[in-house]
Amino acid sequence: MRKPIPPAKPKKSQYGIDPNLLKKRMAELPGITSVTVKELFPDTPDVIYPSEAGKEAIREATIKSLENVDMSMIKPENSVNICASHHGFTLLGGEAYTEMLKTVRDEIIRRTGCRNVRLRAGVGMRLRETEEYIKAFKLDEYFEGKAKGVAPIDKGIPIETEIGTLYGLNAIYDADFVVHCHNSDVREVHFHRQVDRAVKPFGMSYARAETRSTYHQNLGPRGANFTARAIFNSEFVQKKFAFATFLNMSPAGVVGVVSDNDLYKLNEKLTFDGLKYYGKIITLFGQLSDCIVGLDFPCPVPYVFASGVIYANFVSANVDLFNLESLAPYTWYTESFYGKDGKPLIPEIPPVNPKIKMVIHNYAWSGYPSAFFSTHTPTIVVGREQADLMSRCPMNAKYMDHAVIADTLDAAMEFAYKVTGTDKVLIFDGAAGGINVSESLAKEMLEKAPIVAEKVDNELMPIWLKQRGIDPLALAK
Amino acid sequence: MRRVSLLAKVDLDTCIGCKTCERVCPTLSIKVKDRKAVVDEQRCTGCGGCEQRCPVFAIKLVERDDPYTIEFKIVPEMKDKVDELCRKAKFHPEQIICYCTETRAEEVAAAVLAGNDTPEKISAATGIRTGCKIECIQPILRILNAAGITPEKPEGYQWYGLTPTLWDINEDVKKRYSDGGFRFDDDIEVFEKVINAKK
Repeated sequence: MRKPIPPAKPKKSQYGIDPNLLKKRMAELPGITSVTVKELFPDTPDVIYPSEAGKEAIREATIKSLENVDMSMIKPENSVNICASHHGFTLLGGEAYTEMLKTVRDEIIRRTGCRNVRLRAGVGMRLRETEEYIKAFKLDEYFEGKAKGVAPIDKGIPIETEIGTLYGLNAIYDADFVVHCHNSDVREVHFHRQVDRAVKPFGMSYARAETRSTYHQNLGPRGANFTARAIFNSEFVQKKFAFATFLNMSPAGVVGVVSDNDLYKLNEKLTFDGLKYYGKIITLFGQLSDCIVGLDFPCPVPYVFASGVIYANFVSANVDLFNLESLAPYTWYTESFYGKDGKPLIPEIPPVNPKIKMVIHNYAWSGYPSAFFSTHTPTIVVGREQADLMSRCPMNAKYMDHAVIADTLDAAMEFAYKVTGTDKVLIFDGAAGGINVSESLAKEMLEKAPIVAEKVDNELMPIWLKQRGIDPLALAK
Repeated sequence: MRRVSLLAKVDLDTCIGCKTCERVCPTLSIKVKDRKAVVDEQRCTGCGGCEQRCPVFAIKLVERDDPYTIEFKIVPEMKDKVDELCRKAKFHPEQIICYCTETRAEEVAAAVLAGNDTPEKISAATGIRTGCKIECIQPILRILNAAGITPEKPEGYQWYGLTPTLWDINEDVKKRYSDGGFRFDDDIEVFEKVINAKK
């Protein structure tokens, strides 16, 4: 039995418990082993990070990716905002994304002579989260005092689009040029459905509350993805947009760094790569039998990672999330369609993944409305402090209405094994390059992976690409 | 429904009177007077907007001595009008429009019909928009709009304005982006089914 992969370290944050209160990680439990993504899917591409070269590999790849990018529009007297998002800092400890941001800054200065290069880092709902990352990675020093966390309730700016007025964040657009620095990790595929993934931050991290509310309430579970495109296509943004740089991610790590002046060209490549790299692991997750899920990562409940896939995707894995015909079991739209009796208002709303028999919330943050998860799946929260953290959160007043508390992880697991009758455990702990699971689940995953791979390559991928108007042959050219 | 157990507390020695807190508060519960922020303790919902955006970390959330629950009760006689207003705004009355507080469209519609004519008054009356403070501003504005109300804007940047819905997207846009995977008409169909669901 292979040793578990070391889980991601806990982080000191106002949104999580003090790391000292985390007494035991789920990977330390008896019977836990690991499988690598490469073992499951041998065609998984090699990664440049994590690797022996460390963050230097990211710097090199970023510089190389920028070689063909035109920066001539930026003059020494101009100002440039490097726009970032909190997601990147949650990937593999955040070092790779940080290094990419630093390198983009250095290259802009070196090639254009412009020194007024600022960092503007957007957030989800934890409004100081990127402030914490800026401090932890000393980005304010690196950007010479010009690094700033921005939030959707900060001062806005109207942006006229082809569907009407939407609103961006003033601090994102208060420079002559903006550079879009993100990652291709599919992450919230339940929301964006791998449609315009590379464009999304223009309607989210860089946007005001009104725009984000448009995405999540006004335009529908698939139509929502047009929000970002409408903003990006606006004359206002087009005048300021210089180029984009992305960490190209796979479930095993960073495959490379890609940059382009044409965001849609980049978007098409990253959409294809995302379907290819993540399609198999997410489809495999949908094939697993009854199991206990462990949440053990420094992020809110839906965002904890296993092999580059977030828990929210596992909650919806009983449906093909990449197939645009279907609705996801979990999105805010489907959550909103549950009536007062706890049942969906229409039969088309699929149930959450019925294979999740119990959830052990060993370590996950507050700062995201998560009551849906504890309402739909039996949940045990480890430790009173963590339960109190959730109850204090203005977004989670009802999370503990549906969860129970165990004093220790061992007690929680003993209860879970007894009640569910399964010994299969899947842990979302950010293990790099693989997944920490029980021996029984590892065996099942290894057996099912080749069948899933064949189905994705031959049956699903052509459907997914066609639905997004992507011709793989044209892309290859 | 929103349980309120926290309260914003200002450290007057640290406060610089910059008014950021005042500009983001969804219930207008904090005001700068004589260059210091003052919290209306009765009205504060402990949403943390001020605490999270204060540039000098002068605000903390503390446990309330008197926790309370905000909920706008729908009187049975209003039910038909409430349902009508929800559907006019293109919501099912039972549709959840605030994920943090699980506030449903009918509660906001009832609050509007009772005379709450701004997002700030609605937040104070129902608790909506006192969790993340991000995602539910459009449903509130849509229900006000359906009621024929143009709300008075606060002095801060709590909100800017109503934005488009699926039904506002014209055929030309739909046609031009038809191969992009946006599925506007499919989503309209889903919404229509929800809005008209019998419950």
